[in-house]
Amino acid sequence: MNDIPLTWFLIFAAACFVIGLMGVLVRRNAIAVLMAIEIMLNAANINLVAFWRYGTPVEGDSPISGVMFAIFVITVAAAEVAVGIGLILLCYRRWHAADVDRFDSLSG
Amino acid sequence: MPVNAPVLFDFIHLAPEIILSLWGLFVVMIDVALLRRRSSATRGRILGVMSIIGALAALASIYLPDMMDLGHAASNVEESLFQGTILGGLLVERLTALLLILLIFVIALSTTWDLTEHWGEYYALLLWATVGMILLIASEELLTLFLTLEMMTICLYIVTAFEKDQRRSAEGGLKYFVYGSVSSALFLFGLSLLYGLTGTTRLAAIGLALAPAHTSIGLVGNVAGAMAVLLVLVGFGFKISAVPFHQWAPDAYEGAPAPVSAWLATGSKLASIVALMKVLVQALGPWAHGVNDISSPGWVGIVAVISALTMTYGNFAALAQKNLKRMLAYSSIAHAGYMLVGVLAVVVGAGKSAAGPVLFYLVVYSAANIGAFSIAAWLYRDKGTDQIEDLNGLGLKYPILGMCVLLLMLSLIGLPGLAGFWGKFFMFSEALSQGDDRHKLTFLWLVGLGLMNSVISAFYYVRVLRAMFLRPSTGRPLQAPTLTIRLAVIGSAAVALIFGLYPQPLSTETDAMAESRIFITPSRPAELLSVSPVRVVPRPNASDDTRLRAGPIGGGPSAPPEPTPVPDSRAK
Amino acid sequence: MNQILFGVIATMGVLSALGTVLARNLVHAGLFLVAFFFLIACQFVMLEAEFLAAVQVLVYIGAVAIILMFGIMLTRNIQGDDTTTVSRAGFIAGGLAAVGLLTVLIFGITHEEGRSGRPAWNSVTTRPAIYPASARKSESQAAAINNMGLAVGEDLLTRYIVAFEAAGILLTAALVGAIALAIQEGPVSDDPSDRVKSKQNAESLAADEAESLLTSSRA
Repeated sequence: MNDIPLTWFLIFAAACFVIGLMGVLVRRNAIAVLMAIEIMLNAANINLVAFWRYGTPVEGDSPISGVMFAIFVITVAAAEVAVGIGLILLCYRRWHAADVDRFDSLSG
Repeated sequence: MPVNAPVLFDFIHLAPEIILSLWGLFVVMIDVALLRRRSSATRGRILGVMSIIGALAALASIYLPDMMDLGHAASNVEESLFQGTILGGLLVERLTALLLILLIFVIALSTTWDLTEHWGEYYALLLWATVGMILLIASEELLTLFLTLEMMTICLYIVTAFEKDQRRSAEGGLKYFVYGSVSSALFLFGLSLLYGLTGTTRLAAIGLALAPAHTSIGLVGNVAGAMAVLLVLVGFGFKISAVPFHQWAPDAYEGAPAPVSAWLATGSKLASIVALMKVLVQALGPWAHGVNDISSPGWVGIVAVISALTMTYGNFAALAQKNLKRMLAYSSIAHAGYMLVGVLAVVVGAGKSAAGPVLFYLVVYSAANIGAFSIAAWLYRDKGTDQIEDLNGLGLKYPILGMCVLLLMLSLIGLPGLAGFWGKFFMFSEALSQGDDRHKLTFLWLVGLGLMNSVISAFYYVRVLRAMFLRPSTGRPLQAPTLTIRLAVIGSAAVALIFGLYPQPLSTETDAMAESRIFITPSRPAELLSVSPVRVVPRPNASDDTRLRAGPIGGGPSAPPEPTPVPDSRAK
Repeated sequence: MNQILFGVIATMGVLSALGTVLARNLVHAGLFLVAFFFLIACQFVMLEAEFLAAVQVLVYIGAVAIILMFGIMLTRNIQGDDTTTVSRAGFIAGGLAAVGLLTVLIFGITHEEGRSGRPAWNSVTTRPAIYPASARKSESQAAAINNMGLAVGEDLLTRYIVAFEAAGILLTAALVGAIALAIQEGPVSDDPSDRVKSKQNAESLAADEAESLLTSSRA
C-alpha cells in the first residue's frame, strides 16, 4: 500500500488557499468574503498538520507542534467569525446591504 | 509520561497580563451587575477610573519579579518562560510599562465624550487588546505570536466599531476586519510554510534551521521560502500599515472613536513593529540577503522597497487630507515607513545597538500621537467632526495647549531640539553606519528619501498649526477641554520637549532594552561551523562566522568581499 | 488505496471550495462550505490526526458554519441570493491572479530543496512510522499519534499554557464584543417585536460562541 507523498497534501492545501484568495478578490458580499477566509485558514491547517505528520519534531519542540498550531488556528477562526458576523450585522442595519463596496462613506 | 509542569515562578512574570485579563472581566461584571441603572456618561466615568486603577495595578506588578527576589537575578536577565514560548526580561518589562502608560492615557481620553452604551465591554476590550500586545512582544514562538497578534487585532476590530450611533465607526470596523482577517489568513499560510521549511515553531530554532552552515545565499532559487517570507511580510505589513497593505488604516482611524484611533496608532503599531523586528531578525535573519552579496535575492530588498513606498505614499496622501484623524492616519503610515528603515538597520547590523533607535523612535512617536489624537477627541466632543478647519483659532483661545500642540507637531516633523528630531537622527545615523559599502548605498537612498519626506510632512503638520494660530475662530467655539485632554496633550508635549533637550536618558534606556537577544540573529555554534564539510574555499578570516554569530557591532557587518561562494559545494 | 482515497477527498474538497467561492446563492455557498469543512476533517483523518478531525467537525461545522448561516439569514432574504454581480473583468482578473499564484506555489512546493539538513519536500513520500521500533527519533510523536487527546492536553497545560489562557481571553473578548456589537439597544425600530428578534439573534450568536468556546477549551 503506497503512502501519500507529502507534496500531494501541500498542493491540495495550496489549491484551497488559492481558491479562498480568489473568493476574497472576487466576491463583494462580506459574508462570502468571510467564508473564503475560512477556506484559506483551513488550507493553512492542512499544511501545518501535513508538515507535522511527515516531519520529525525538532529537539526541544513539542511532539505535536503542528497539531497544536492547528487547534489554536481553529480557535482563532471561531472568534474571528463571531466578531465578523457581529460587525456585518451592525453594518447591515445601517446600509441594508452586506456588500463591502457599498460601504463608502469613508474615502479619500 | 512525565509532565513538565510550568514553574510557578514563570507566572509571576506574567503578572501584568493576568491582572489586566481579570480586571477586564471584573469591569464587565461591575458594569452589568451594579451600574445598569446609571446613565451612560456616569458609567463611562466610573468604569474608566476603575480601568485606570487596573492598569496602574498591572504597571506596579511589572516589578513583582524584582520585588520577590526568588533567588533569581535582577529582571534585566532575559529568560525563556514556559519552555521557551514566552520571553521575560528587561525589554518586555519596559515595553509593557510603556504600553500600560499609553493605555492609561487612552482610557482617560475615552471618558471625553459618551461614545458608547457598552462601557464595560469597551474598557474590557481595551484591556484585553493590551494583553495581546504585551504577549505579542513577549512571544518567542509562532503559535503564540499568531494567537496574540489575532487577540490584539480582534479586540481592536470590535472597539473600532464601538461608536454604534456613527455610521463611519461601523464601516471603519468592518473594513479593518475584512482587510485584517484576509491578511492574517495570508500570514498564517506563510507561517505554515515556514513551519514546513524548518520543522519548528520557535523563532530562535527557525533562525538556526535557516542559518546555513557556511554561507547564506539568501533566497536564491527558494520559491517556497520566498513565498513564506512574502506572506509573513504581508501579514506584518498590514499590522503596521505599510503601503501596499495600508488601505484599511485611514478608514479605520477616521471611523474609530478618537481614543481607539490613538490606540491603533500607538499600541498596536508599537507591538507589531517590535514583533516584526523580532521575527525578521531572529527567525528570518539568515534569509535577509546573501552574506556576500546584498543584491542577491533576500527580503532586505523587499522591505527596503516597502519602506520607501510607505513613507512617500503616506506623506503625499496626508497632504491632501482635510480630516484631522485621516491626516494622522496617513502620517502614521509615513512614520511606519521611517521605522522600517530602522528595522532594516537592525537586520543588516544583525545586532543589539541598532534596535535602540527604533525603540526610541517608537516611544517618541507614540507619545506624540497620543497628544495629537487627544486634540481630535476634543474636537469631536464639541463639534462632532474632525476637520482640520474646525481647529481654527484654537491656539489663540487656549494658548498653553496651543503651544503644546505646536511642540507636538514640530516634534512629529522632526525639528531639531525636539524628541522627534532625535528619533529620526538616531535611527537614520544608525542606518548609515550599518553595513559595508554595498549596504550603504541602499541606506543612503532610504535615508535621503526619509529626509525629503520629513520636509514634505512639514507641510501638512504646519497646516494644523496654521489653522490653530493664524485663522480666526469659526463656528461654534470649543468648550474648555477636560482634564484628561489637558493631561494627555501636556504630557506628550513634555515628552517631546524633555527628550528633545535631553535625549540621553531615554536613548541609554532604549539601547539597554535593545540588548535583548530577540534582536540577534541566532547562529550555529562555532564547532558546527568549523567541522562543516562544505567549506571548500579557505577564508581570509572568519568574517562570515562573526557575522552569523552577531558579534559586536564594529566587527560584524564588514564582511570583506570574498571570492565567489562555491554554490556547487552545497549540492548534496 | 490510500492514494485513491486521498484523490477522491482532495477532488471533492477542491470542488466544494470552488463551489463556496463561486455559488451565487449564499446559502448554497454556506452548504458547500460545510462540505469543505467536513472534507478537511477527512484529510485530518488521512493525516492520522483524528482528534483534530473531531475538533474540526465540532467547531467548524458545529459552530462556525452555523454562525455564518445566521449571518446569511439575517442579512439576506430567506433564499440568500447574492444580489450583487461581479463584473466579468474582475472575475477573470481574480481567476488569473489565482491561477498564477497557484502555479508559483506548486512550483515552490515541488522544487523545495530541503535546505539546512532537512529532506526536500518532494522526496518525502512516506510518513515516519509511528511504531517506536522502526521509528528513528519519533517515539514521542508516535505516542502522541496513538493517544492524541493526552498529548494535546499535556501540551495545553505545559508548553502552551500561555497561549491556552490567551485563547480563553480571546474567545471571551470575541463573545463579549460580538454581543455588544450585534445587540440593538434603544427603540431603533417602532416594531417592538423587531427588538426582541434582534436580542434573540444576539443571544443565539452568544450561544454558538459559547459552544465553540467550550469545544475548543475542551480540546
